[in-house]
Amino acid sequence: MKVDLLVNGARCRLDVEARTTLVDCLRDHLDLTSVHTGCEHGICGACTVLVDGEPARACLMFAVQADGYAITTVDALAPAPGELSVIQDAFCETHGMQCGFCTSGMLLVAHALLSRNPNPSHADIVDAISGNICRCTGYGQIVDAIELAARRLAGTNIGAPGARIMSGPAFKFVSANRRVREDRRFAAGRGHYVADIKRDGMLHVAIVPSSHAAARILSIDAAAALAMPGVHYVVTGAELAAAVDPMLNGLDTPRVRRFSLAVGQTRYSGEWVAAVVADTRAIAEDAAERVEVAYEPLPHVVDVERALDPSSPEVHPEHGSNVLLDKTFVWGEVDRHFAESPRSLSFRVTWGRNSTVPIETFGVLASWDPWHEMLDVWASIQMPKYAEQIARALRLPANAVRVHYDVDVGGSYGVKRGIKHTVLVAYLARKLGRPVRLIEDRLDNMRSGDAHGPERIFDVSVAFDDAGIVKSMKMRALDNVGAYAGRAPFQLGKPIGAIVGPYKIESVQYQALSVMTNKAAQEAVRGFGQSPTNYAIEAAIDKVAAAIGLDRVEVRRRNFIRKDEFPYLIPSGTRYDSGDYHTVVDKVLAHADWSGLQQERDRLRETGMLAGIGIAACLEPSGGNSSFEPLLNPKNTTTTWMDSCRIIVDGLGHVTVAIHTTSSGQGHETLAATVVGEVMEIDPDRIRVVRPDSLASLPSNSPVGSRMAVMLGGAAFHAAQKLKRKLTTIAAHRFGVAADAVDYVQGAAIDRATGKRLEWADLILIAHRNIHLMPEGMEPGLEVTHVMQVPTGTALPTADGRVQMYPCHSFEFHVVLAAIDPDLGKTELRRYVIGHDCGTVINPHIVKGMTLGGIAHGIGAALMEEFVYDADGQMMSQSFMDYLLPSSHEVPSVEIVHHCTPSPFTVLGQKGSGESGYLGAPAAIAGAINDAVSSLGISFDKLPIRLTAISDAVAAARESTGGQ
Amino acid sequence: MKAAPFEYVRPQSVDEACICLAADADAMIIAGGQTLVPMMAMRLARPSRLVDITRIPELHGIRDDGTAIAVGAGTRQVTAANDCSIAGSVPLLAAALPWVGHAATRNRGTIGGSVANADPAAEIPLVLVTLKGSVVLRRPAGSRIVAAQEFFIGPMMTVITPATCIIEVRFPVWSASLIGVGFQEISARRSDFALVSAAAQVALDDSGRCVACALGIGGASAVPQRLDAAADALVGSRLSDDEIGQAVRAAVDTIEIMTSSHASDGYRRRAAAVLGTRALAEARDHAIQCAAGPVQ
Repeated sequence: MKVDLLVNGARCRLDVEARTTLVDCLRDHLDLTSVHTGCEHGICGACTVLVDGEPARACLMFAVQADGYAITTVDALAPAPGELSVIQDAFCETHGMQCGFCTSGMLLVAHALLSRNPNPSHADIVDAISGNICRCTGYGQIVDAIELAARRLAGTNIGAPGARIMSGPAFKFVSANRRVREDRRFAAGRGHYVADIKRDGMLHVAIVPSSHAAARILSIDAAAALAMPGVHYVVTGAELAAAVDPMLNGLDTPRVRRFSLAVGQTRYSGEWVAAVVADTRAIAEDAAERVEVAYEPLPHVVDVERALDPSSPEVHPEHGSNVLLDKTFVWGEVDRHFAESPRSLSFRVTWGRNSTVPIETFGVLASWDPWHEMLDVWASIQMPKYAEQIARALRLPANAVRVHYDVDVGGSYGVKRGIKHTVLVAYLARKLGRPVRLIEDRLDNMRSGDAHGPERIFDVSVAFDDAGIVKSMKMRALDNVGAYAGRAPFQLGKPIGAIVGPYKIESVQYQALSVMTNKAAQEAVRGFGQSPTNYAIEAAIDKVAAAIGLDRVEVRRRNFIRKDEFPYLIPSGTRYDSGDYHTVVDKVLAHADWSGLQQERDRLRETGMLAGIGIAACLEPSGGNSSFEPLLNPKNTTTTWMDSCRIIVDGLGHVTVAIHTTSSGQGHETLAATVVGEVMEIDPDRIRVVRPDSLASLPSNSPVGSRMAVMLGGAAFHAAQKLKRKLTTIAAHRFGVAADAVDYVQGAAIDRATGKRLEWADLILIAHRNIHLMPEGMEPGLEVTHVMQVPTGTALPTADGRVQMYPCHSFEFHVVLAAIDPDLGKTELRRYVIGHDCGTVINPHIVKGMTLGGIAHGIGAALMEEFVYDADGQMMSQSFMDYLLPSSHEVPSVEIVHHCTPSPFTVLGQKGSGESGYLGAPAAIAGAINDAVSSLGISFDKLPIRLTAISDAVAAARESTGGQ
Repeated sequence: MKAAPFEYVRPQSVDEACICLAADADAMIIAGGQTLVPMMAMRLARPSRLVDITRIPELHGIRDDGTAIAVGAGTRQVTAANDCSIAGSVPLLAAALPWVGHAATRNRGTIGGSVANADPAAEIPLVLVTLKGSVVLRRPAGSRIVAAQEFFIGPMMTVITPATCIIEVRFPVWSASLIGVGFQEISARRSDFALVSAAAQVALDDSGRCVACALGIGGASAVPQRLDAAADALVGSRLSDDEIGQAVRAAVDTIEIMTSSHASDGYRRRAAAVLGTRALAEARDHAIQCAAGPVQ
């Protein structure tokens, strides 16, 4: 149909199908890729545009409905190429974004708000952005940006709210309140996401999902689908399995075979049974409906405790049981400590199945060139050894797989692994000789993206004395891993590196149980199992405090490792690097006005509210290695887990830094430039950062395990040191002195004795053009690389199951005041203070954003997010109408109290912060709710704690006591 | 999530729209599309033809005919929310509109669309039922007016027959001088569809005595429900907290709760009682505030 749009001031006459939504029209027909597709059902707001000046969701309008209307996208906001509007600039100044995927919509909403209301209140801003979901930032810096923009537009040009500037060693650029360089392109709508990439002749995939939790596939009839115009191919699991190898399992479970498509039988509702390839995604979906699959339903099991019962249906009968992993570790004299302790208690807590659910779904585009024998892959990926895994499954040499790392990832927080998607489209691209892409839609993503997080039952016992000192802990962690193995069971292993939290618990028994059910497979989620574990540990400490009638903070203080005890060896073999937990707690309580906060809680109670204070103290292990692999799988001897950096100084003296992975909002370009600039004493803004493809890259293990500040920062630091050494060596040769007699000062090399100087330009000239002036044997040019191993964890586990896990341990201390409507059960977080110590901060804006975003994610896990399955194994929360992501209304303003205890194991004293906030927020919020309801004699021991559950339990408690 | 193919027509008049609808049993009206489009994206709705009525002039406009404010079915929710006559004459609708979705969906969503969709938890149908409003329908054979109580017959179900178009939604205007309104709802996130909602409107005489009262509950039952027993019991009272609580609790016990997985039956009944009570108290306080001086 003909449609006439006025897009950003230009008249566009287009011919589109009636069913083409406005967002698809703008993206596919007008190449306006600043408009992003997040959910396609009107909840997330990523596709927000202005229709006749007012915000509207471009996924909730067909293009034909917009005929004659004026459409404004973020592209129209910038006054000139390379120049940002006041609002865009404010977003960059406060770092009001991370991955950039929601940013276009946020900016347009902000623009509309400030046009209508130049002087909005804080509440006005929160309300205005509440229809746009951001999974990265927790909204704080977005609200700051809009407040700043309003003031600037009003002419009161004052500074942005500070992310703090660190105390500590004197740095020039590190820890400085500098902008995040990635933000400019996102604020301009110029992120480069996988769905923005087009290749000539590109075909599109849609999935045929299983309608059964478990069923034998009797037949697949694709004739009707293949007969439809525009349909190219239908592939089944049988065909695929004959051509590719199964995907890797982390554990030694060879009979749990996993392919992109179900082979012979389906193991969860939604599992991919066949894939249709067509000219457009819409045609592929039309055809997917016409693929007829005959099933014979099989018995299924979704409850993990039932799945443990040998008589229950087996998810993979070939494996012989549903148990993937059942390993018990005993570190220290657990039995003796329990026997000798005057007190002990036991309890169960349950962590519901949730995930990080980025607003950008997973997507991948693959293209096979038979003349070069090269597979090119563009993907929204965050996966260690991704290229190698694809090559292995496809039986290709690894040097025939080229993964493009210059793709911006629209949020990941762990989950964007996509091996099954990639193997499928790569197979199809080779088979069909055409580029093929699969961009998950929201239903694919939720039910079958295989990206759910841990679902875990903890049975915990602790032995302690009358003073509240916890001597020993027994923990059984039973995880419902879903239908396949993958890497997810390792999420029971990583927390072993901080199994005692920040406490001096002397001995631990830990049983890690990974059990399969007919649910979607899990993937790595922010913290890799640490946040559930921290929830269980913090529940134990709260219960100990209650048992002896002592203040919860005091019990924590008594059990904390002291500042002078670091490095501190915990029973499971990890040596914690550093920390000053007592001081952080003191600072937080002072900032929060602890007694005032308690008075406020009591005042709320007097008004009839239920009110409670929650606290959580926990660690964020960072700088990730993979010591959990050999610990849980003896056949796996991996001890190397490197990351790398390359610095190139060109013949004109300009510096380019290469990093070797994708990013999903963590600001790695800023990180690398800042560290290189710091060492080289060059303004980081003058440094170019690039991302070569995988074949031109040095080794990386991708931004997992909260590791890039430590590992990429470390690699950049060491590479820059090598560069400096090369420059001073060249100068020393010219001066005729020893290399260590030359100082490097802001680009110049100076003979310390004589004061003679060679300037940057002189040094560049020699390195690039005058080999006759260089020391003999030195390579010409100025290019250095550094491949860095994780500072600790280089040994295999001991026979008794001890191993050094991650090198660094950031600390966080949460205090939250919750007010609960006793009748309706709604929890409102009235105050949220977090103390955070991640050592030396490289960029304060980035760390602040990570922390606020992690807390927002934790609020979701604590109160509303869950993938729910019914008894038939059908997933009940496939859309954003049922899986609830916190909006700006649900995330309070968070106050951050900083502390810096540098790590002795890293180059600048830095530790990780990519998982901060999330690791303690669920525990703290659960604690607050339980404090609020404790007077009723009830407690909640399963997350999420929904408002209906609170209300029902409160009502039942009141009825049973005959009260109120 | 791409909609199944369909035809699209954009008639210029209601009569033409009715003809388009009559010609195709699987045709559907689209107005703002804020609920229909996602249903189509998930292929839970698969109309063969969409009849876009948003640009039909006769479906726009807000008229005060003395006893009611007649809102053209195609009026966008944002337009209604900014309309002075609605704010002045149907303050309950004005109070409810900010709870409808988000600003971005109110910019496209229409009053008639929300009524036609008949979500049991939707705010506009609740206001319509509470105020004993009505819906004006047109089909090729002619027009008719249906009282709100008869219009909604179940979750997402109304008496609209094929080839029928909502022309106008009529919200009665109360003549009393001292009117107060209250609107309350509960949902996990503030802008979600309500688990339960309550709308109340009261009129007081100069002495503060209640002379008229209306209370409706949404989300708890298959259709928005008026609690006339509570309202009638309160007329003549001074709307003390005790009187309100007692009347609402008694009336809520009679609601036939709609069971769903999102909340227990007990929760819905409890929330209905609490929100109904709060909405009435809010309405009373609002009226008293109006009596005291300039409206805030």
